[in-house]
Amino acid sequence: MPLYVCNSTKGVIDDGAKPKIADDITRIHCEVTGAPPEFVHAFFFEDASHFPLDGNTAFLFGSIRGGRTDAQKARIVEEMRQSIHAHSGIPLDEIVATTVDTPASWVMEGGDVLPEPGEEAAWLAAHEAKLAAESQAGS
Amino acid sequence: MTRCLCLVQQDQTPEAKRAQLQQGLQRFSEGAFGQAADITWISVPAGSGFTAAAPSTSSIVSFTADQPIEQDERVSLLGELCDLWMQETGCSLAEIVAVISDPRAV
Repeated sequence: MPLYVCNSTKGVIDDGAKPKIADDITRIHCEVTGAPPEFVHAFFFEDASHFPLDGNTAFLFGSIRGGRTDAQKARIVEEMRQSIHAHSGIPLDEIVATTVDTPASWVMEGGDVLPEPGEEAAWLAAHEAKLAAESQAGS
Repeated sequence: MTRCLCLVQQDQTPEAKRAQLQQGLQRFSEGAFGQAADITWISVPAGSGFTAAAPSTSSIVSFTADQPIEQDERVSLLGELCDLWMQETGCSLAEIVAVISDPRAV
């Protein structure tokens, strides 16, 4: 988490564009929120009924940890739309993006419940220490 | 009925494995929530999943409970869910994102 799902009509985002957009999604999310890149997932689909396009050419849906400000969310949405536009050529007005907040306490990643926004550094340090201890115990 | 959404990498979870997972998830749902789950599978096409901007091997399994649950119970269930996923798929703990949501206010 965050999980960004990008659904688009078939063929408009080619295989070469996906890693570039995924790279931008990761960078933008981390720049705006301070979250570590390890948390960022970006999945691409074509004509996926679970993520309705509603007449648009591309729809980016982000499920992000709760606690971000409206300004942060607006910047995420706008910069990610620009990235999709830049790498795919889809007109900007045919790209819709939105985010929904998910409480960090609802999510477990790498075996630990995710930290609240702003507590990532301590979480990562504790998480890595735990993994190192488990690795040592197993060797 | 609880809802469960599984997002898996297409080239990592073959159909046969998915049937076993489905059974395990139903057992989990009945044990955790006392009812069966409506499970939806979504495969991420090959070359279309990225984690930390690199090709992804992550699976995301997300349950929505039919009523709010206490955090201690949620953490225990999340751990159980991760264990189930690792046992059935052979993946590592680092490759699982587990979510147990309360019902969203409408």
